[in-house]
Amino acid sequence: MTSELKTTTKTIVITRFDPDRDEKPRKQEYQVPCESNWKVLDAVNFIKDEIDATVSHRWSCRMAVCGSCGMMVNGEPKLTCKTSINDYDDRVDIEPLANFPIVRDLVVELDGFMHKFESVKPWIVRAKEEAEDKATRHPVKDTYNQSAAELAEFKQFSMCINCMLCYSACPVVANEPEFLGPAAIALGHRYNLDSRDEGTEERLDIFRGEGTVFSCSYANECSEVCPKNVDPAAAVNQAKFGAVIDWAKGLVLPRGGTQ
Amino acid sequence: MAGPAHPDAMAPRKPGRTRTAPPQTPASWWGSSRIRTYLLFDATGIIYFLVGFLAIGLISDLGNGPIAWHRALERLGNPIYIAFHVLSLAAVIFVAVRFFRLFPKAQPPRIGPVAPPPGPVIHVTLYVVWIGITVLMTAILAGVIF
Repeated sequence: MTSELKTTTKTIVITRFDPDRDEKPRKQEYQVPCESNWKVLDAVNFIKDEIDATVSHRWSCRMAVCGSCGMMVNGEPKLTCKTSINDYDDRVDIEPLANFPIVRDLVVELDGFMHKFESVKPWIVRAKEEAEDKATRHPVKDTYNQSAAELAEFKQFSMCINCMLCYSACPVVANEPEFLGPAAIALGHRYNLDSRDEGTEERLDIFRGEGTVFSCSYANECSEVCPKNVDPAAAVNQAKFGAVIDWAKGLVLPRGGTQ
Repeated sequence: MAGPAHPDAMAPRKPGRTRTAPPQTPASWWGSSRIRTYLLFDATGIIYFLVGFLAIGLISDLGNGPIAWHRALERLGNPIYIAFHVLSLAAVIFVAVRFFRLFPKAQPPRIGPVAPPPGPVIHVTLYVVWIGITVLMTAILAGVIF
């Protein structure tokens, strides 16, 4: 037995921008017969497949894992594969992620994000053992054991899918180009909390540098829009706390903090 | 979109070969109750700035002798000053409540070997300390103690 899905025609307004033709982004309306179980991404895919093949957008997994389909839906950053089209009225405004340069239609420039991301050294730094390895030319250790309690300290911050919604929501990202931003700081902080890592000192220098964590004014918008409940605002403010503690240790301990 | 973001927001390290449209801020910012609350939180800074001026003026009056001090006290009885102080009190309560709500999750999982208490304990402690200090200061200013 098959059940009939209710179909509602909605006006989907998509931001269009062709760098070869358009001076600036413009709006284009499409009438889309949306089925009751559709996500916003289904409506955009319908337009691309059935109405206008020139619409450009990114998507991949359709299950809120790849982080590709972030767009502004009625002015809010949303993961469109996770957002039901029926949560909105008959007119839905879909725009590229805010705070990013627009490459084409709903596709934004990622290079600035990737640069911020790699600048926080998002890998396990093993400074001491790397030095020993160079000297002996033997791998010192293949695995680094970690208890469940140690894993629990950073696990939440490792759930980020790099969807960049937090960058779109952040008022500081919009106004301070140097700011590292929520996801990058959360990722750096995730490695600082990792018991296997020895790169905290290097990352604290980055956190206190040009894109300083202290630019964050704790608007908390990044955590409000995060589709995976990573709570980047908590990470950023814990990183601030860590930087202050380290600075205070440096004042009272002869060998400084981060030891 | 609401308006232009900083033209270099999330800009690539090197300009690409393709022309891009400049970044825009979200249209929801000015209509969102969350952002309005945040802007109100930031705007309370203006009130603290004015309170600072008022306090410096009062210290100056205190240094200028009893006559100037009594004039200052009379001035504080003016309804405009009273309204300003009520507004300042509302701003302090608003900021404290928002700060207390967000403070627990800003605590790292541990500071050295010590783990901070659970969030609800921190939350309640902040309120208890705040109310305790307020009661103590009120008792001192009312002459109940000292």
